[in-house]
Amino acid sequence: METFELLLSGFMQAMTPQNLLMAGIGALVGTFVGVLPGLGPTSAIAILLPLTTVLEPTQAIIMMAGIYYGAMYGGSTTAILLNIPGEVSSVPTCLDGYPLAKKGRGGPALGVAAIASFAAGTLGVIGLVFFAPFLADQALKFGPPEYFALMLLALTVMINLAGNSIVKALIMGVFGYLLSMVGIGPSSGMPRFAYGSNDFTGGFEMISIIIGLFAVTEVLKGIEEKRTAVSFGNIGSIYPSMADLRKSVKPMFQGGLVGFLLGLLPGCSAAVSTFLAYDLQKKTSKHPDQFGKGAMEGVAAPEAANNATSSAGFIPLFALGIPASPPLAVLLAGLMIYGLAPGPVLFEQNPKFVWTVIASMFIGNLMLLVLNLPLVGIWARLTRVPYGILAPVILMLSTIGAYTVRNSLFDVSVALVFGVLGYLLHKYRWPVAPLILCFILGPMLEQSFIQSMAMSAGNPLIFFKRPLSLSIIVLSVALLFLSLNLMRRTKQRVRQETGQQAEIA
Amino acid sequence: MKRNRLPLMLMIVLTGVMLVTGCSPLPSASDPAGQTAESGSGYPAKQIEYVVPFAPGGGTDLVARAVAEYLSEEWGQPVVVVNKPGGGGAVAAQYVLKQSARDGYTVMANNVSSTTMMAAGMADPPVKLSDHLFVSRIVEDPIAFTVKADAPWKDFKEFSDWVKKHPEQLTWTSVGPAGTSAFGVAEWLKAIGVDFSKTRMITTKGASDSMPKVAGGHAVLAVHSVAEVYSMAKAGKVKILAVQAEKRSPYFPDVPTAEEQGIKGMSVKWWTGVSMPAGTPAHVVKKWDETIAKMVKDPAFLKKLNNIHVQSSYLNSADFTRFVKEETRSYTRLATETGIRK
Repeated sequence: METFELLLSGFMQAMTPQNLLMAGIGALVGTFVGVLPGLGPTSAIAILLPLTTVLEPTQAIIMMAGIYYGAMYGGSTTAILLNIPGEVSSVPTCLDGYPLAKKGRGGPALGVAAIASFAAGTLGVIGLVFFAPFLADQALKFGPPEYFALMLLALTVMINLAGNSIVKALIMGVFGYLLSMVGIGPSSGMPRFAYGSNDFTGGFEMISIIIGLFAVTEVLKGIEEKRTAVSFGNIGSIYPSMADLRKSVKPMFQGGLVGFLLGLLPGCSAAVSTFLAYDLQKKTSKHPDQFGKGAMEGVAAPEAANNATSSAGFIPLFALGIPASPPLAVLLAGLMIYGLAPGPVLFEQNPKFVWTVIASMFIGNLMLLVLNLPLVGIWARLTRVPYGILAPVILMLSTIGAYTVRNSLFDVSVALVFGVLGYLLHKYRWPVAPLILCFILGPMLEQSFIQSMAMSAGNPLIFFKRPLSLSIIVLSVALLFLSLNLMRRTKQRVRQETGQQAEIA
Repeated sequence: MKRNRLPLMLMIVLTGVMLVTGCSPLPSASDPAGQTAESGSGYPAKQIEYVVPFAPGGGTDLVARAVAEYLSEEWGQPVVVVNKPGGGGAVAAQYVLKQSARDGYTVMANNVSSTTMMAAGMADPPVKLSDHLFVSRIVEDPIAFTVKADAPWKDFKEFSDWVKKHPEQLTWTSVGPAGTSAFGVAEWLKAIGVDFSKTRMITTKGASDSMPKVAGGHAVLAVHSVAEVYSMAKAGKVKILAVQAEKRSPYFPDVPTAEEQGIKGMSVKWWTGVSMPAGTPAHVVKKWDETIAKMVKDPAFLKKLNNIHVQSSYLNSADFTRFVKEETRSYTRLATETGIRK
């Protein structure tokens, strides 16, 4: 009950005009950086860190938190309308969002994305309010073997992203994994595949690869097709129909739950949870053959997961001082600069601060919803801008985005090279999603494997001796067979209906 | 006629403004000190890029931001922190120390792991110490030997005795074989006479990755700087058995030092300072060093260090260079003995 009272007083504080303004600015800035490919919440918060010298701690942290969860909202817009994910975690949203937009249902898709984000974001904050210390303790039980098992589970998603050929998907997956290995090796501390170049020693940056494979590729595709505008015709009403909403309720909660649970685990990025949520939705759907062609559920699930993960990330941050992702690490820096070291001590010594920030997150989520539904109309107009104008703008933003992640020109060249590569892959129908999935999972898989081996002195049985990791491994094997089976059935069904080869992802 | 005069008036006004603003640097160039830009008074005349070779949010970054803020105010020119992470600091070092002009407008933050430990841990490091011009050391932070909160050992001595008996059961976390933790552990094991190669290293991505592993019982020991273990220790999820320093840490006055508990001969500490490319003009180095010497006495700056739980520990250019040389020698010996050096 005490929690509730504290929360209420937090709301009183958060409702002051200044704090409301900060939450609003944060949400707006977040939405914009989320929309722009490459310019993510990490760089946005880092750029704004010097503001901490001017603002009160509560106001600054409210604003930074707003940027963080606002970016998760914004990432979906360009993913749906332009097939360009603003954030890595928006990649699964492209899979069904863009086909929906092409069908003239971009409006409802954006609406569902905003509502799913709101529902899951709020769910996450409620989890933060009532279970923070308990959940943070549970997350600590996840050791390297459990992470390894979890990564295996996520790998099974690849089968569902395979499109028409598992072999092609596996080749792309291995390619993605190889790319992720460039740089300093996790156990040896020695550079791998560096060929004596300092840039290669630094490794490839995920964002620049995404920018290349999606944004630059999309521009090249547009030029080839001699597009005049990004999407033809209308995007439809921005308010989803009752039927759309009914379809989206289950994926919202499922996706939200998956995202929330994974968000508790430090280092498990939002990209992993969105892929898993999308996959889970497809597996439990009654019509999996619709996925990849414009299923509303395929937008709702990853968007919900995305925002639940970002809210849940505050739990290990506030309760233990562990940042679950790079933007939270910068947010932690903001807290440290004010001398507010997170942990239970923070809850005891500065309850007013903590609860005001938490209350502002409720308000911020609501603001984002209110902000985003009308904004959808503006974004929609974006798609009618002549392609001759939009294409160079996308290229310019891509270049800036790729550069700002690490302030490195090398990343810009990487984006351009991968843009051409992505265009060729698209032309010859090689799926890029497995490449990205393995690029994300590869380093986590390797690191948790090596950590587990160090724990067990090289005995691989460690994965089967621990109940938690054993159950996840059993689950992954089961899912693998389920996926294979599902894929066979889907292919059959598509062939029956259309007499054509299936093109799923 | 009147209409025609307007553009003319505008032009005159604009030219006037341009003349005035264009002339304004002149008085300062001939100010009482009577020095030309070459001998130093002109620096800094524009924005300075202060490169941090690690991601935002870490210790090196937080200190660099505090420094940048002070210098910006002091010099009236923006000192902008730019993060260029990657390759254990090699990417940023390549940019600042090798590719940038040696004019003092591109400088970098360094720390123990990107300098002495890299030189000691790698026979052929991507950045050589000779590429650095060491300007000043600013901050140091003792390392803390940290175990799970409900671990059975009540102090560092008891823990060391346990390790002596069961070296093969000791797992410890580190970002890699040449990380601060690895050197800290190696030095401690040497001091208590345990074979380093019998223990096992669990590589992690850094403190935010390794602290939950120790708190959850997946690894026995984490050795990080006091600032890095602060939150989890205050949260009661881990306990600090000892800090390695001459004096106890002001942030954990109840935790005894390693030496107090009878373990002598340890020296590993985390520190951070400023590097410039070798060949930077001496007056620029002097300007930085003098301003930093002043900064570490500034109460507002010290308050900031207090907030991020580190301690000021200034060394001037000459002392810093000597310190780095000595530390490299002792770390190289340690790394060679333990097989860390590759």
